[in-house]
This record gives sequence, structure tokens and C-alpha cells, in this order.
Amino acid sequence: MSSVATNADSYSSTGRWERAVPVYGFPLVNGFFLGLSALVLVAFVLTGYRELAGLGPVSGMNDAYGWGIWKTFNVMVLTALGSGAFAVGIAAWVFRRKRLHSLMRMALLTSFLAYACGLLLLGIDAGRPWNFYWIVFPWKWNMHSPLAEVAICMSIYAMIPLALENIPPLLERLWYFDSRLRPGVERMERRLYAGFPWIIAAAYLLPGMHQSSLGALMLLAGERVHPLWQSPWLPLLYLGAATFMSFGCVAGTTMLCCLVWKRAMDMDVLDDAAQITAWLIFGWLGLRLLDILFRGALLTAFRVDRFAGVFWLEMVLVGIGGWLLRRSLRDHDARLMFIGYVLSSAGGMIYRFSPTTLAFRPNPEALYFPATIEILVSLGFISLGVLGFLVAVKRLAILPAPLHEWHDMASYFRFRRPYIRWTGYFKHGYFGENETEAENSD
Amino acid sequence: MPITRRELITGVAKVGAPAAIVVTLGKDALKTEPIPVPNAAVGLLYDATICIGCKACVAACAEANNTPPDTRGDALHQAPSDLNDVTRNVIKLYKPDDGSAFSFVKRQCMHCLDPACAAGCPFQALHKDPETGVVSWTADKCIGCRYCTITCPFHIPRFQWAGFNPRVTKCEFCSHRLEKGLKPGCTSVCPTGAVIFGPRPVLLLEAKRRIQSSPGRYFQNRVYGELDNGGTQALYLSHVPFEKLGLPELGPESVPARTLRWQRRFYQYFALPALLYAGLVQVIRKSLKGHEQEAHEREKETGLRAQL
Repeated sequence: MSSVATNADSYSSTGRWERAVPVYGFPLVNGFFLGLSALVLVAFVLTGYRELAGLGPVSGMNDAYGWGIWKTFNVMVLTALGSGAFAVGIAAWVFRRKRLHSLMRMALLTSFLAYACGLLLLGIDAGRPWNFYWIVFPWKWNMHSPLAEVAICMSIYAMIPLALENIPPLLERLWYFDSRLRPGVERMERRLYAGFPWIIAAAYLLPGMHQSSLGALMLLAGERVHPLWQSPWLPLLYLGAATFMSFGCVAGTTMLCCLVWKRAMDMDVLDDAAQITAWLIFGWLGLRLLDILFRGALLTAFRVDRFAGVFWLEMVLVGIGGWLLRRSLRDHDARLMFIGYVLSSAGGMIYRFSPTTLAFRPNPEALYFPATIEILVSLGFISLGVLGFLVAVKRLAILPAPLHEWHDMASYFRFRRPYIRWTGYFKHGYFGENETEAENSD
Repeated sequence: MPITRRELITGVAKVGAPAAIVVTLGKDALKTEPIPVPNAAVGLLYDATICIGCKACVAACAEANNTPPDTRGDALHQAPSDLNDVTRNVIKLYKPDDGSAFSFVKRQCMHCLDPACAAGCPFQALHKDPETGVVSWTADKCIGCRYCTITCPFHIPRFQWAGFNPRVTKCEFCSHRLEKGLKPGCTSVCPTGAVIFGPRPVLLLEAKRRIQSSPGRYFQNRVYGELDNGGTQALYLSHVPFEKLGLPELGPESVPARTLRWQRRFYQYFALPALLYAGLVQVIRKSLKGHEQEAHEREKETGLRAQL
């Protein structure tokens, strides 16, 4: 951990993030990568078993707890962590915190992966997934159902605006790969950017709708959700938790990547993000406490039971996380900042997990604990997201870095893919200016 | 440039003024709507004071709906411990330890006038018939999300946990028998008349007559389901508190009306989201212009291709 601080100290003046750069010089396939692949493989096999055997044999779900961790953790919690494209995006594009643009590609990528893996698992969790085709007939939707809103809005969001927002790094790679592709790529980029205001606006409206509807889901459960959580403000609180958790996820993951792959951290950007996150956290805590106070549920927080325990754990984690983030701003301390992000996000995760599981009381004797297969499938789909992340950051320009880290992607291909040279592609092909000896000239 | 004060104020005004107009015009719509009672609403009246717990209705229900007998308890008798994936109707016993009054209770779908299960069902697989008011399940619209098992305040719909083609099981008022002019299975066999079938208004009058003719016999001298949860089509009379029988005190407003009111208003005609979208497009258009310009300036500066 101490290396974080030294990194931050030595780079805080010089380490400006100026450009998104692929992670060069680290092999894609290593032990960690293979371990994750094994988990994914196991999850795929178990998914096949689940499709044949049904939900009962593979999960701990029962009549009382109809929803297990596939919905409540992989969707409710992880899409909150993956709301970076929404929260960081609004700060950067709507409120014009310009520095945050250097975190945008990370935010878009993590969001897309979290949503894609969540949606896949949602399909596996559904008992009768073949009936999802009703989604293309809007007149068959139940417009007032929060779940319909979540299912429809989430799939549209992940498949259209979020996917489109993630295209620029791919086009960039194509642009550098082959000069013959350049005119076409540039034409596509122009078209894409012409549509960007509409795409980006949709990418803020839709998650705003479904992240709040995820909270509205539990409104219908009424009294069975403990009064510390059940509130008419549940939609707004869910949305608020998603905003600060996703800031934590985007900034925290970027810091972790800088640490792992030995890159400079830009404390200006990180300070900006931490400041916004801290305000979001204190606003959210204030709203949550006021809501509990005015509904008269505060006394239940002082009983000695598991609900009060979970509540205080959540409040303390979020509160300390927010305080550490504020504290880290004073001397640009990356270590405190990272711990602050981890704690506040963990508290937010507990909050998003609670109404459906920890604070859900269908009847006194009911019990739910995820079965082994359930946990393995859940882990497998998280690993799938992490795998996608590793491939993306090592092959595409996602992570922000100082200019001196930049190497032309064509020179990278030349280094990593000598067989392209053997085919005579470079000699007789159209790589043209990329074949020059000069570094950093595109 | 960060968002300017002027831009913020005009932006809020641009979005806020139409929103205020919409809210003002729709003020009447924001009040609670009365829940319509279907014209030909059928009903059940269950009187816990007459029920002897013989479970004839449980067997009749299974027979009428052609569900296999649930013998998972002792591998011999049809003795379901609760509603489950093959049991649409069950008799349960409430017997307090202190020796005070005990009671049987018949549990099946309440057929709420404003059912929470149908309110939450994403593709209308659970649907309330506008004529008879029967809440029934359609296999080829259900995606198996189990939201109905979460939302139902009476915890009625049950999901089939085993098998690749799971179904949701709940009382559907034997609608196939109603079509033939027959009564639901459970009401056709009850030896003491503890559960009777009829149009909901008639049953309501009958229940009130019973309360009037024997005051003090019934809990709170009221019919559960007349107003509870916005009104239900299964009505209950009992001598023990309803809550002990698994019928929670939900208040006169239905769960969907109480909890989703603002949600519903917000998405009414999709007007507010559309407005918000239009505002966002305007702001982002301007941001994008500035951002693109900066990116191209940096491109000239560094000689490296702009990244948006």
C-alpha cells in the first residue's frame, strides 16, 4: 500500500493523465487470467445443469425467498457499481467537470461489463426465459410494473446507448491497425459523434430510470421489508447509492490498475472525483437519516437484532468512507482515498443488497442461504466481467496515462504479432506510414 | 467551461415550466383513484367459525384442477403443509399455546380488486379478468421472474422450483368450472358451508347479516376483504384476529396504489422522462461541441490523434 503513496507523491506534479493508453508490456494470459477462465468454464457448465434441472436443485431459493443472489447481488448490487457511465458521465458531460473525461472510458467499460454480465445472469435466473420475446411487443408490456421497467430499460440501455458509447476505443484500434481502414473508420466516427448527444442523453435517462426502479421493486413488498429500509424514497436512495458506488468503482478500479501496472496517478482528476463522491455520500446519508427520522423508524435502529446490525454496519462503512475521501483531499493521499472508496462502496453494496435479502422478512421461520452452485455461477459471471476487463484494457486504449506511456498501437502490433510481418503484409500491404521507424508518429 | 449559472437556471426553467404545467393540469389524476369493482365479480366467503378443518376442499381443489396430490409430507396422505407448486388451496390450523380460541383457516388467492401480483408482473402473465375479476396466470407470458411471490401481500403465488419448465401455481377460481356453470371445487364440497361461492356483493351482504345476527361472535365485527388492500374477492369472517390467520392488516388502500402512485405518475404517458431527455440533449450538445474542439486542439498540440 505504501507504494500508492509514493506513486502519488512522485507523480502528483508530473503524472498528468493526458491520454488513454493500452496496458503494454504485461502478458494477457497469466495465472490469474487462467484461474478466472476456469471459474467461467465451471459457471457455464453449471448453467447448463441449471437449465435442465430447474432452479430448486441449484439454488437456495425457496417459496419465501423467491429471489437469490443472482438477482440481488449480481444485478442489484453489481449494476450499481457499474453505473459509472451514468454518474461519472453526468458529472463530465452535463455538469462539465472536464477533468473527469479522462475516467470516462473506464466508466463506460466497467458499466458495459457489469450490465452485460448482470443481464446474462438475469436470463439464467428467469424460470421461463423463452418468454422474454414479449419484450419486442411494447403493447404487451405492463407499463406500471417496476420489474418490466427494469428488464426493458436495462436491456435497451446496455444494448444500444452504452454499447454505442463504448465503440470509439474499438474504432481507434481499427484506425491504427490498418491504414486502408482509416477513411471508413473516420466516416463511422463522424456518424457516431453526430448522434452522440442523443445517445449520451439516452445513456443518462435510461439508467436514471432503471436504477431507481430497482428500488421501486421492493416498494410492492410492503411491510415485509424492514422499516429501516422500506421507504417511499427507496427509488431515490437506490439511485443515490448507485452514484457514489459507481464513482468508487471507476476511480477505485483506475487507482488499482495504476498500482498493478505501475502507472502514474493524476491526483487532480482523482481529487475531483473524490470531492464529488464525498458530497454524494453525505447527501445520501443525510437523505437516508432524514427519511428514517421522519418515518419514525429510528428507534428500530437501536434494537439488538440483525437488522440494526446491518443498518449500522452500512451507515458506518459509508460514513467512514466519505470521511476518508474528504480527509484524503487535504494532502492528496491516494491511500486514504482508495480505502475511502472501498469502504463507501462496500457500505453501498450492503445497502443495495439489504431490502431484498438481509432486511426482507417474508415470515419468521424462512431462511435463505445461497447454495454452492448458485455461488459458483454468480462468481463465474463476475469473473467473465473481469476477464472482459483485462482483455479490453490490454488491447484497447481505456486506462488514462501520461503522454510518455503512449506507444502507437501499430508499433505494438508489430511487436506482438510478428507473423503479420512474415506474411509480407507490412511490406506489400497498406500499412504505409505506420511502418516508419519513428516512434509515436501516427 | 463548467455549466454556467445562466445555463443552469434557463435549463431548469425550460424543463420545469412544462413540468409544472403538466403537474397542475394533472392534479386530479394525482389523487387516489377509486378501484373499480368488476361487474360480475365472483367471490368466496369463508367463515372460520364454522370450518371444521376436514380438508375436503383441499382434495376437491386438487381434483378440480387436476393437480397431483401432494404426499411429500409422509409419502402416504395428501397433506400439504402450505400452499406450494401443486397446492392451490390449503387448510391450516392456528392454535395458540395458551389454550385460547383456536381456528382453522382456508388459504387461497384473495383475488384482490387491485392485485399487487398483476401490478408487478412485467408482461401481464398474471391478469385480472375485467368481468369476473378472477386473477389468473398465463403460461406463455410468464418469464419466471418470481416477482409475484415477492409482491403478493398474502404470499399466495408459488413457483415450481424443480424442472426446466416451471409454472406458477395459484388459485384461479376454477374458471374452467365457472365457464361450465359449475361452482369452484372447494365450495362444492364443504360439508358445513364454511366456504360459499357467489357474486361478491351478495356474499358481502350475507357476511354482514351474519355479523348482525350474532354480535360479538366475530373479530372486530368486520368482514376481512371488504376494504382491506383495496378490497378482495375472497371474504373472511373469523373469531380470532385476522393477523393470526395470515391475513395482515394492510389498510384500505391497495398495496400498488399506496406504493407505486408516484412511480405511475412519473411514467404517465412518458411525458416527464421525454422532457428530461430533451433537456439533456440540449446540454450535452453544447458540451460535446466544446469537448470536440478541445480534443482537436490537443491533437494539434501533441501530434497524436484525438481521443473523444
